[in-house]
Amino acid sequence: MSDVEEETVEGADDGADDPNRLPGATAIDVLEYLVGTLVDDPDAIEISEEDDRRGLRLQVRVAPDDMGRVIGRRGRIANAIRTLVRAAAADDGVSVDVDFVD
Amino acid sequence: MEWVETTGRTVEEAKEAALDKLGVDKGDAEFEIVEEAKSGLFGRLRQEARVRARVEPARPRPKAERKDRKRRGGGGEDERAGAKARSSDASDRETHKKAMAPAPAAAAPPRGPEEPVMAPAEREERLQSFLSGLVDAFGLEGRTEVDHVDDETLEGRVMGDGLGLLIGPRGQTLAAVQDLARSAVLRGGGRGIRLRVDVGGYQERRREALQRFTREVAEQVLSTGTAVSMEPMPPPDRKVVHDTVNTIDGVTTHSEGEEPKRRVLIVPEDAAT
Repeated sequence: MSDVEEETVEGADDGADDPNRLPGATAIDVLEYLVGTLVDDPDAIEISEEDDRRGLRLQVRVAPDDMGRVIGRRGRIANAIRTLVRAAAADDGVSVDVDFVD
Repeated sequence: MEWVETTGRTVEEAKEAALDKLGVDKGDAEFEIVEEAKSGLFGRLRQEARVRARVEPARPRPKAERKDRKRRGGGGEDERAGAKARSSDASDRETHKKAMAPAPAAAAPPRGPEEPVMAPAEREERLQSFLSGLVDAFGLEGRTEVDHVDDETLEGRVMGDGLGLLIGPRGQTLAAVQDLARSAVLRGGGRGIRLRVDVGGYQERRREALQRFTREVAEQVLSTGTAVSMEPMPPPDRKVVHDTVNTIDGVTTHSEGEEPKRRVLIVPEDAAT
């Protein structure tokens, strides 16, 4: 009984070491967070995940009025988001693509 | 907001020199042409172009971007367009007046009443929360400090161990953090504000290294009397070079080339004129 308890405690200790945590979970957290700080309508954010041969593919949808804010001038903001999401994913050993879709 | 005045063989050259002095991109600066360049006989330069420039102060966002943020669903598009036209007429008149005045130094451009400038304390709070939220999302631990280095420069610093993930190769990830912080914190309304982010003291160490290197090159220029061209650098780094050289007697700086290949030359002072 005490054994079981100890194991549970160990497993729940930290998100990153949790075996049940999906690879790429940090990347998704980071993506959600960043998009949330940029838009006016956080409720409209939708992120879908798709695994393909090259890795994890994340598709982001936001309210039409917010699209410009997440893309930025000449895609500068979108690229900055990609840079951070990839950094987070690399820590998990996953490669990630981020698409912003209408 | 400080104005700088620069000269060049063309207006473009004078503007580029001004951007270097300010350490910002073209889109964040405001220019006034004081004098156009005049050429004399056989294409000789009779008079250099002279411009004044400053970091562009806060100002209502362009129409496309500000849409109907505050009054979503309100049908007052025409009314607002009218108001905008009127206010831009007014600002045109302002500009004419200013152009005639001898020194329009600190005159701030008129601001729309519905676009209040964000208070410094609010900017600090927003940057603080942006950075600590980001560190959390990455599952990292770090302390965040935010303050104004001067009236125009807001700086956030994240300190702690194991933050290399947020810096990235050659600081690329950190540059992305800074871009996003700027967008999320200032929301397009902070034109006159520089926003810097440092993680684990990376930028500070880099700045110090660049200052040291610049001083070495300047010493070399002083002893040999020969100008030396630095590598191409982005505007903030060029500003560090200009500022460092300016503290040393006997040498001065020029810039040449187009972004992103623009570079600073360190030249002996007497050869400059």
